[in-house]
Amino acid sequence: MTDAEFRSAFEQNEDVVYRFAWRMCGSAAVAEDIAQEVFLTLLRQPGRFDSARGTLRSFLLAVARNLALKRWRDDSRLDELEDQFAMPAIDLEGRENAEAVSAAVASLPPLQREVLILAQYEELSLEEIARAVDAEVGTVKSRLHRARENLRRMLAPLKSRNMGRSISHGTFGRS
Amino acid sequence: MEPLDDRELDKLLQQWQAPGAPPSLRAKVLPEQSQWWRWLATGTIRVPVPVGIAMLLAAAALLYFRTYLPTVERPTVAQPARSVSLADFQPVKQLEPRIIGKTNETN
Repeated sequence: MTDAEFRSAFEQNEDVVYRFAWRMCGSAAVAEDIAQEVFLTLLRQPGRFDSARGTLRSFLLAVARNLALKRWRDDSRLDELEDQFAMPAIDLEGRENAEAVSAAVASLPPLQREVLILAQYEELSLEEIARAVDAEVGTVKSRLHRARENLRRMLAPLKSRNMGRSISHGTFGRS
Repeated sequence: MEPLDDRELDKLLQQWQAPGAPPSLRAKVLPEQSQWWRWLATGTIRVPVPVGIAMLLAAAALLYFRTYLPTVERPTVAQPARSVSLADFQPVKQLEPRIIGKTNETN
């Protein structure tokens, strides 16, 4: 990989990789470390990327995903990577919508969280997500469905709160 | 509590914005971007394989023709004549004509 090709790959993918790591880990410093390691991996071992297996973007996100999960494994029990455990309740009281969504997504199991982030925010296809997370498309669909169901449940209180706000600012809210 | 439908959920999820990569990331990954002179010592130029092969063949042919083919002697070019200065020509100072008759007399 020439210097020009690497620079081009970096410029086209730095934001995507960083945003994914930021949403996965919830920390700007950790996200930067992960993003740096992703691109240094590409620089040192360009042969690991096989264009026949997928796009460069899905390869870089796969490396980022593995690094993020490794950090999570180092901090938590291994079996909590699986997506079958009960979801903890989150307190939405006093939180703005964005903060509430952040907390809800952070409380998802990592395997659900990663597919949701890649589908919802990076708009990858199911096939690209499957390559990035090293799973079958059917498994990705299943995890994405469970992630969205969990978020629907966790964020349901915001619906009534937002409806109340829209009513207070609407016809009935005129002073 | 009524659950969120797909549209409502998507609308809520989109409210969570993520920042772009900070400039410090570029500085860590591409530290030598501005040092163009380093490229002169360590950079690479990518050459397509056909072009590379053609260049090698051209270099080999040039070396062969210079080393093994006999040199062709060039015809010598005639040296131009020395220029003559008219200053060397002097008129005859004294003319002594002698008339030789038909008889066998000798002088």
